[in-house]
Amino acid sequence: MLKQLFPIKHVAGYISSLVLSAVALVVLLDIPAGSKMAILLVTAVLQAAVQLMLFMHVGESEDKKSVYINIAYALFVALVTILGTLFIFVWGWYS
Amino acid sequence: MKWDEFFVTGEPLIYGAMVSIVLVSLAILFGLTYYKKWGYLWREWLTTVDHKKIGVMYIICALIMLFRGGVDAIMMRAQTAAPDMKFLDGQHYNEVFTTHGVIMILFMAMPFIFGLMNVVVPLQIGARDVAFPKLNAISFWLFFAGAMLFNISFVIGGSPDAGWTAYFPLASIEFSPTVGNNYYSLALQISGIGTLLTGVNFIVTILKMRAKGMTLMRMPMFTWSVLITCVIIIFAFPVLTIALLLMMFDRIFGSQFFTMANGGMDMLWANLFWVWGHPEVYIVILPAFGIFSEIISAFSRKNLYGYSSMVASMVVISGLSFLVWAHHFYTMGQGAMVNGFFSITTMAIAVPTGVKIFNWLFTLHKGRISFTTPMLYSLAFIPIFTIGGVTGVMLAMASADYQYHNTMFLVAHFHYVLIPGAVFAVIAGFHYWFPKVFGFRLNEKLGKTAFWFIAISFNVTFFPLFFLGLMGMTRRTYTYSAETGFGPLNMLSMVGAIGLAIGFILLVYNIYWSTRYQPRDKTGDPWDARSLEWSTPSPVPVYNFAVAPEVKGRDAFWFSKKNNEPLSNEKITKIHMPSNTGKPFILGIAFFFLGFFLVFSWWIPSIIAGIAVLIILATMSFDRDHGYYIPVEEIVQTEQKLRGDTV
Amino acid sequence: MKIDASQPLEYGTEENRNRIFGFWLFLGAEIALFATLFTVYFVLADRHASGPSGAEIFEITPVLLETFVLLTSSFTIGLAVHAMRLGLKKQMMIFMIITLLLGAGFLGIEIFEFFTYVHEGVTLSTSAFASSLFTLLGTHGAHVTFGLLWGTAILIQLKKYGLDHSTANKSFIFSLYWHFLDVVWIFIFSFVYLKGLM
Repeated sequence: MLKQLFPIKHVAGYISSLVLSAVALVVLLDIPAGSKMAILLVTAVLQAAVQLMLFMHVGESEDKKSVYINIAYALFVALVTILGTLFIFVWGWYS
Repeated sequence: MKWDEFFVTGEPLIYGAMVSIVLVSLAILFGLTYYKKWGYLWREWLTTVDHKKIGVMYIICALIMLFRGGVDAIMMRAQTAAPDMKFLDGQHYNEVFTTHGVIMILFMAMPFIFGLMNVVVPLQIGARDVAFPKLNAISFWLFFAGAMLFNISFVIGGSPDAGWTAYFPLASIEFSPTVGNNYYSLALQISGIGTLLTGVNFIVTILKMRAKGMTLMRMPMFTWSVLITCVIIIFAFPVLTIALLLMMFDRIFGSQFFTMANGGMDMLWANLFWVWGHPEVYIVILPAFGIFSEIISAFSRKNLYGYSSMVASMVVISGLSFLVWAHHFYTMGQGAMVNGFFSITTMAIAVPTGVKIFNWLFTLHKGRISFTTPMLYSLAFIPIFTIGGVTGVMLAMASADYQYHNTMFLVAHFHYVLIPGAVFAVIAGFHYWFPKVFGFRLNEKLGKTAFWFIAISFNVTFFPLFFLGLMGMTRRTYTYSAETGFGPLNMLSMVGAIGLAIGFILLVYNIYWSTRYQPRDKTGDPWDARSLEWSTPSPVPVYNFAVAPEVKGRDAFWFSKKNNEPLSNEKITKIHMPSNTGKPFILGIAFFFLGFFLVFSWWIPSIIAGIAVLIILATMSFDRDHGYYIPVEEIVQTEQKLRGDTV
Repeated sequence: MKIDASQPLEYGTEENRNRIFGFWLFLGAEIALFATLFTVYFVLADRHASGPSGAEIFEITPVLLETFVLLTSSFTIGLAVHAMRLGLKKQMMIFMIITLLLGAGFLGIEIFEFFTYVHEGVTLSTSAFASSLFTLLGTHGAHVTFGLLWGTAILIQLKKYGLDHSTANKSFIFSLYWHFLDVVWIFIFSFVYLKGLM
């Protein structure tokens, strides 16, 4: 019964998300500043992927192609908004 | 708060408006009671989930808003028609150009397009309704609540007065202390939620509910344009949602997003506004491209030239539309690198747009063209829109834009894009699909007269503004002296505005006249057109298609007519339909009051209205009504009645 | 209503499949919504004026606790859907109740955190940084709050009507929503708290 209620896929996903959160904490230690953002990006994206693939079953429906395009488009708009705004106000500001 | 602060006082024009609002409301209430139409109104319209009726309601609202926005426009033109006019004061002028912009874009163009897509898209793809009919009704009533909230602002509390762009710091509580901009943030928020839901609804409808055999590349071009538009909607509108939320926080709860002190950044508003605002332009214009594609193809008696490139160009436009927003504020202070980047992306949009123009021209080439009213609008659109597009490329050059920025040149440019692009399109679509919904065509002679008034007057109104802009007249100027030399061209523009007004009055008169005197159309296909919506009888029965059509190629109905093959050989079976519900309407009322109370920061009533919203949502969740079936005999009877003996 | 028995209950009708697909589209819109809030936060994060900066007010302990609670709740709602697919209604409801309790726990810690900030003199109107922080966290928190109400409504329906096409569909969509809130939290955890503290 326990095995039935706690499938290995879910348990593995849960543990990996806890581990990834813990790994992200190394940015609080004294490591090179350049690598910190990279670590945060990688752990966050991996965690999001864990949720999407293992928990949300993103690839299981008949519309999975549309769902993938939808998420990709959303990420495109998200990145453009964030990076474009930083480009305008921070990196590319007249000074 | 005192009563004279609650109601707007001191302006004879506004007193006149108040009196007329009260009189018209009383007349409507009296009329409904006298002719015993309350039950009809509730059963047939307020509770409907039928996409066609929802579409009709959108269009009626859009036409009313066209006149509200049009009156604003005439007032602006009158005030600037001659030097040192005393018709409006500065404050009133600010309010008028603000409401003109907001209403025309968000409460006229958008609902008109939504109305047409509600009526047409399910019919074009051979579906019985949209994917989520109740959600569709919610969308409409949220739009309606937002529109009403925005419109009462000019008699209760005062209209917003910081421009339709509501730039900070001008729109902050410090510089715009009336509740006007609270109305702006809340009314747009409420109708924006409705828009977002429409976007989701139509993507699901188009991707999941197409008739058998209708692959994506066999869809009519209007359906394609709506699909792309809805994709832009669901990713652009959340940005507006957040921008408006932050605006509300700044104005009502004292947050510091766009303030001038404590680290606030007024320019961030302009940035967020246009991250949404530029895709919004394409939300309004892409369906227009779809409408023109349908009409040009139908009245050239040819299939659409370059179908795949039409689709590809729309996909490219949807992506690029998110990459150009900074061209609205080249002069704000960002570096040359930023302006250079956005300049290039902006000019790049001209490429797919140019592809579309050529496709329309090649569709016309060697076609058997019939000059009907919708076709006239479509033909006029091509050259006029091209002027708008070319001046757009001029504005896209960042360094040159330092000269044009915020002048009448810009005003002329976007009217040259939006009026032929959006307004001509919805009017053309209105004439084209009118017989589908009501069972008779609008009178062609009146329609053409109105067209010539509108097309010529439009150019008389807006072409002078290009020169005024180059002469140095800035936009939103409420008065000027005779020495500037702006007088004669502004007077010419005023003459054009009167012509436009006459054109639009003729258009409405045509509806009245045709309702009384036009012959009824029994064929369901009065234009000899190409797509599936024309295979149904007019007016379209509630279930749309007695049997679901089957599609073997593009322009399926055209080839079924030419080859004399029926669209389906299936037998009529009982049809499942969703039941009507009054809850979307009640939800709209609750949202209206929630917005209204928040505008005035009346907290206790706001909380009560908020809880009411949640309760209505909960009751909707507990609803277990799965619709009803229409029996076969009833379908057969309806079809015989509508089609005569042809079935 | 056409019923397709080869699919799990929540996908079993055409309407159900449309709803799930539609909800994915809505989540796409939610990505754009939170991206805008992150944009605002990133632009304003260093503009704390005379008020304290992020590094001065963030504390790692409650944040870690929040992260653990929310990750666990995401795990349990996943288990609930798994149990639902096995047809185990009782276990499914237990997992859902645990999820909602964890969600309430998360919300409790967040409210406590907000009180601490206010106690330290940081309110919505202290600085642009504070405004953007409260709005980003608050919007996420409001989503969790709405989720608690929504989840409760679904639990009542499960109890009342049993596990059928309609309730299974709603439960599955709720699970998508809940996982999504967890994803958003991961980004808040990484790019608001850890980035602020590093």
